[in-house]
Amino acid sequence: MTKNWRRTKIFELNYEFDWSIPFREPYLGMMITGVKVTIILLVSTSITSLLLGTAISIMRISRIKIVRMLGTLYVEIFRNVPGLFWILFFYFIFPELLPSWIGDKLNTYTYYPVVAGILGLTVDNASYVSDILRSGRLAIPHGQREAAISTGLGRVQQYFHVLLPQMYRAALPPLGTRMVHNFKNTSLCMAITAPELTWATQNIESLTFRGIEATTIATLFYIALASAMIAVIIILEKVLKIDVSGISASEA
Amino acid sequence: MIKFIAANKWFGAIHVLKNVNLGITKGEVVVICGPSGAGKSTLLRTINKLEPIDDGEIIVDGKYLSDPKTDLTALRAEIGMVFQHFNLYPHKTALKNITLAPRKVRGLSKSKAEARALKLLEKVGLSHRCDAFPAQLSGGEQQRVAIARSLAMEPKIMLFDEPTSALDPELINEVLDVMTSLAKEGMTMVVVTHEIGFAQKVADKVVFMNDGEILEIGTPPDIFVNPQHERTKEFMRSVFHVPIFDEELAED
Repeated sequence: MTKNWRRTKIFELNYEFDWSIPFREPYLGMMITGVKVTIILLVSTSITSLLLGTAISIMRISRIKIVRMLGTLYVEIFRNVPGLFWILFFYFIFPELLPSWIGDKLNTYTYYPVVAGILGLTVDNASYVSDILRSGRLAIPHGQREAAISTGLGRVQQYFHVLLPQMYRAALPPLGTRMVHNFKNTSLCMAITAPELTWATQNIESLTFRGIEATTIATLFYIALASAMIAVIIILEKVLKIDVSGISASEA
Repeated sequence: MIKFIAANKWFGAIHVLKNVNLGITKGEVVVICGPSGAGKSTLLRTINKLEPIDDGEIIVDGKYLSDPKTDLTALRAEIGMVFQHFNLYPHKTALKNITLAPRKVRGLSKSKAEARALKLLEKVGLSHRCDAFPAQLSGGEQQRVAIARSLAMEPKIMLFDEPTSALDPELINEVLDVMTSLAKEGMTMVVVTHEIGFAQKVADKVVFMNDGEILEIGTPPDIFVNPQHERTKEFMRSVFHVPIFDEELAED
């Protein structure tokens, strides 16, 4: 008997579904904006964090000690503080640190929540990306750089044509996982009212007390897009795969 | 072309190059031999400053390596280097391995660089393999591509760092043949190798090193057949462990 009682308790939701709500204005508009803003956050922070992460990873293997230390300092500061903190930081604190003429402009700028979200996600994700790329760099045999040096390639050319392509390839699997993680982190931007998808579902919930439908749709969207990202990464891994025997043959 | 004046180098407490004096003229083929750990590779690698020396001077093509005004990148472009482990770029085809530096350092157009690369691949007998990735090539083929890659910069000097030591015995000759023809064309070559047969046939001068010191410099018969130094004699005895070969050499 107790067993039966429990079953009903769990599965009998005291909730009437109304699947028309997320497809009805103004809620549909919120959902569509949510998807758009989420994709904007995803695409922009993927690019910026990859660029910043690459720069930091190169700093961390620099010959110049102070540059190396600055790179490490960056990683330790940004990786050891929750990502949400950096999103809040860029929204609430950053404009106050700037001269008031620009800080005030930012505070009143309509899209500043999205901008602050991009900044916060970027600095957070870049710290991980840099560490992943650093491990990719360390996986490249020393002879690769020597070969590049001995053919007269300059420092920048060595990185662009020889080291970076191999760094990205070696780091691709963990890098892909990190980018999916960053995608999920875009939902943190709801804390600063960036109108991304999670914010939209919570907004619909608070307006209608019928958020489960919207949340379900958002959940499916997150699953679909994350799976698509994984698929792209797997394809990239296959296309860009360097035969391991090729690397080991050129290794000391 | 290359001149060592009282060159000294330490790795920590280990004195790896002891007061090295050596002159190499244009068109000369110099083979450096000696037991492992003698400093042969280190000596070779100081010529394009992959390893800096701590004391003394090295002059290459009229340029002082210790002079901060010497454009090392430009100088390195004039010095080809072939490594024991080939160090081909695993993410690039044979052709792209060869065209990279001519295009980026010499500023050659794509078509010109490719034409030059194909000519060189033909020279090393690999024009049919131009689209293969390093991992798809045998060791001997990889090393021949690596030689073509160095030659594509039209260097004044070629350095070979144990170019056949990582190869299957059957593949050694195809690489040595390329090197022999290169020597006949008048290339200035410095070769670290254990291939006594090659040295015997091609070298103008043999340098015998032991424990960071140059013990003897002479023609191949001087060093291989009539070594003066006790350590050289001992080394040659163990290298020519088949007595019949020893007699054959003596007749030359």
